Parts: sequence; structure tokens; C-alpha cells
Amino acid sequence: MKRRTLIQSAIATGTVATLSPSAWANETELNIIDTNVSLSRWPFRRLPLDDTQQLAAKLRKLGITTALAGSFEGILQRDISSVNDRLVSECAGFSELIPVGSINPNLHGWEDNLKQCIGDHAMRGIRLHPNYHGYELNNPRFLKLLNLAADAKLFVQIAAVFEDVRTQPDQLRVADVDLTPLIENHVGRIQILNWRPRGELVEKLASIPNIHFDVSRVDQTNGVAAMLKTIPESRVMFGTHAPFLIPEASLIRVHESDLPDSSLSLLMNKNAKTFLTG
Amino acid sequence: MSDHDGTSFGLPSAEQLKSDLIWDSYFLPSYRDFEGDMKRSQRAIEIGNIEKLCYFAHVGIGTTTDAAFEKSRRETPDLISAPLKRWPEKLLGMIHLNANDVSASLDALNHWIRDGQMLGVYFAGGGPGSLPCTHKNFNPLIERIAELKAVIMQHTWHVTGGKTSPGHSLPSELAELAARFPEQQFICAHAGGEWEKGICAVRDSPNILVETSGFDATAGFIEMAMRELGPERIVFGSHLPSRSLGTELGKIVGANIPDEARKLILGGNFRRLLRRE
Repeated sequence: MKRRTLIQSAIATGTVATLSPSAWANETELNIIDTNVSLSRWPFRRLPLDDTQQLAAKLRKLGITTALAGSFEGILQRDISSVNDRLVSECAGFSELIPVGSINPNLHGWEDNLKQCIGDHAMRGIRLHPNYHGYELNNPRFLKLLNLAADAKLFVQIAAVFEDVRTQPDQLRVADVDLTPLIENHVGRIQILNWRPRGELVEKLASIPNIHFDVSRVDQTNGVAAMLKTIPESRVMFGTHAPFLIPEASLIRVHESDLPDSSLSLLMNKNAKTFLTG
Repeated sequence: MSDHDGTSFGLPSAEQLKSDLIWDSYFLPSYRDFEGDMKRSQRAIEIGNIEKLCYFAHVGIGTTTDAAFEKSRRETPDLISAPLKRWPEKLLGMIHLNANDVSASLDALNHWIRDGQMLGVYFAGGGPGSLPCTHKNFNPLIERIAELKAVIMQHTWHVTGGKTSPGHSLPSELAELAARFPEQQFICAHAGGEWEKGICAVRDSPNILVETSGFDATAGFIEMAMRELGPERIVFGSHLPSRSLGTELGKIVGANIPDEARKLILGGNFRRLLRRE
């Protein structure tokens, strides 16, 4: 068949694939917990959902009933106390948003910031940005922070990446966080965010029971299913990295991974619930 | 009370997806395991209701580093079109050209497009067949492609820190090439990856469309492309299976755009390019 005939034939027939029935009845019954959203403004671009009202509405529309919310402001700003104040205040208007404080252990007074998170704000966890804040995961202050957080029963989220290094602004480039030191230093409940698991490190981190993961940047069409073959499924949690990333992306990716119902329930809700309560 | 909108895990209804008539301009099964990657992509193709997917065939003119593979395609050309025969209702094909071998590429154009079923060409951003698209070798190739009314997909990435290989092309370089051939349409694969720069680089080139795959589902991309280029200059690509339906279809269905624009992006524009008279 010649090219033009082929095109005309294809267009005329408009062949449509058959939709396979979904394995899941309804995601609203899952009470989806998103472990990875951020509030306020991404410093380098306005995002369609960077208004909390709009973000919360979108999450609700997608069946996400709870979200752990950090702050974009915590990445570059140095008045961390006010960053966390604003985050708590913003979350107060939305019952589904749980504030996750920023801490930068390279700033003087970080221990006071942590005390505020624990005492004043009664937070359940903190989020770290080691690459933007300029420390390695074998830094003594980081180790001290992990211990203090564990003593206070806070979970610790480590954003291994925030933006693909290939698309970062020329004058503000940060490498992905080297997670290797976590193999030795891993006190308390830790979740790694935005990581794309690869290489031998995955298996090493997968063998450490208190280290958890999210799926926000896991890619390849079977990426989530493949991840759950390497990492115990009790330690992988749903996350969208919204509003930086489009929240539908992570949800659809879970859908295409075609997980059994039991795995789905763990990923979308139960693991995060356990992680939150310690 | 739930505000849940009835979508299924972020996907619109099957009825909507079917009515969108989705044609994927950038399907990427491995040449080493085409069948396996078709199988791996099956679930995504089904739940995304993707009607057709366009892949890029290596035709034995030195576009891979696999000598045995190249030899097998030269000796048994039927292997090249075998996927089109195996999945005739599902697949469309374009061919990789080797910008370093103009003569072999011209022969391939005649064999696979003039006399065969292939619909266009792919210029890679790396590997032995690649050159920056401003190179003079592109001139005779584009002239012939234009005569054949074929589609051109040019890989582009604007990588922070600079080019990653000698054959790497930038959106701005594609704009330079497109200015030499104003009657020919070009697809800027991956919108340059760093799409804010990519969109700006091709904005004033009306004969360039941007393809949507190949980078994270960063929010705001489609909205900016709509604003700067218009819906007629955006073409959906899935990048399956090395990327996901979530990342790639999510960019389009998660964007706040009118229904008509979504239909153009998901298939209408690509179909328009394919049936150019």
C-alpha cells in the first residue's frame, strides 16, 4: 500500500482501541493521600495551580483527600521562621492540607526553627532541600537534625530533586542530592521525594526499613510497578509534586501500572497513614 | 461532600478520549525489542485510547551503533516495515535519516517514502546519524523531503549548561533551518525540553510546530504554548514506553484549555501534517 492510500485509509476508518475495564471501582473510596505538594510560588515561573484555593480544588477533583504541603519559599528564602508561619496560616484554611515545615541546617538558628515546628506549629514532619541549601547527607548538622526530628517523632522528607537539572535556570543550577550517605545515616522516619530510582543505590536504600519513597517523578510506562518490585510496597507512597508538576500525571501513571487492589490501597493511602502516625 | 469530577485516576472518560481521536506523533519502542516494547505499552495505549502511534524506523543507513542490526536491515529490508504489517491498524512509521550520509538518506527517502509506506523522517539529537540541523547537509535532504510532502520530526533539547553531543540541535537552530524552507512544516521534538526557551525560539517560525513529550510534566507548558504559538502548532507525543502516559498525556488533559484545542493537540494537527497535499 502506498503512503497516501495508507493515510486516507487510516483517517477514514478512525480505528479506536477498546478500553479495558479498570481494575479499580472508584478512587474516591481510596481516600488518596498525596505526600508531596508545595504551596506559595515557585521562584522561577508562575504555575497554573500556585494559588492554594485552586490547588486544593484540583486535588479534591482528583479524589485526593489529604496532602502533605511544604513551601516553595523554603527552598531559597532564609527567614525560615516566617516561611513556616505563612505555611501554617495558609494550610489552616484547608482541612486537607497538612503543613510540612522547611528547615535549613546551614542557617544559624535552625534548631529554633525546628522547635517552632514542633512546639508552636505542632507539625508532624519537616521537608529538607539539601541541594538548594548546600549540604551533603553526611553533614554533622544534618545528622543532628535527623536525631532531633526522630526524638520529636517528626517525619523527615528529603527532596532529592526539585527540577530536572537539564531545565534549571543557567545561573541557579543545583545537582540532584547524593543519597548514598543515607545508607549509613538514616535515623527516624524518612521519605525521599521526587527521586527517579536507578542503579545499585535503589536496592541498598530499599533494604533500609525506615526509608520511604514517593512516585511523583518515577517514569516509564511500567515505572511504578517496576519500583514496587524493587522496593517493599509498604514503603512507597503516592505523591504528585504538584503544583510544579501536573497532578494528573502521577495519578495516570499509577493507573497505567495496573497494580493489584491490595498494592493500590497501600500506595495511595495506607502507607502514608502509617508514615504519618509513626 | 466530594467534589470529585468523575475522572478515572486523572484520565478523562473513555468516551472523551475516544472522541479526541488521539494520534501519537512520538512513539519510541526500542529497535532491539520492538515487540516487547509494544507489549509493555499496551496498557497505556488502551487506557489512553490512543488510536495510532508513529514510530521511527532505522533503515540500515548508519543511524545506530549496532553493526549487526544495521547489516540485518540492509540485507532484509522487510524487517524494517514488519511492524507496520504486524500492527497495521495501530502504527504509522517514519524513518531515521543519517545527516552524515546524504546519498544514503536520499536513497532511503525514495525507497521508504516515495515508494513505501513511511510518512516522514526523524532527525536524531545524538548518535552516528546526527548533525546540528543548521549543517549544510540538511539542505538537499529537506528539499527532497519537501518534494515528497513528508513530515519532519527534529529532535531538540535546550539543556542547561550547553549541548550534550556534537549532533545535538537547539530549537533556535531549527528556527534557522525552517527559515530556509518556509513552505516546509517542521516538528520541534520535545519543544526544546526547557520549553520556555524552546517556545520563544520557534515562536516567530510559523512553519514549526512543537511536540510535547520528553520532559517532566511541568505545569504551565501547554498554557504557554497555547498563548505564544496557538493550538494549531502543538502536537502530542507519548514517548512510550520510556516515558509514561501519565507524564505525557497528563500534560494535555491536565491543562486548562478548550476542548477544540485539546483535540487539535492530541491528533488533529498531526493528521493535518500527514495528509498535506
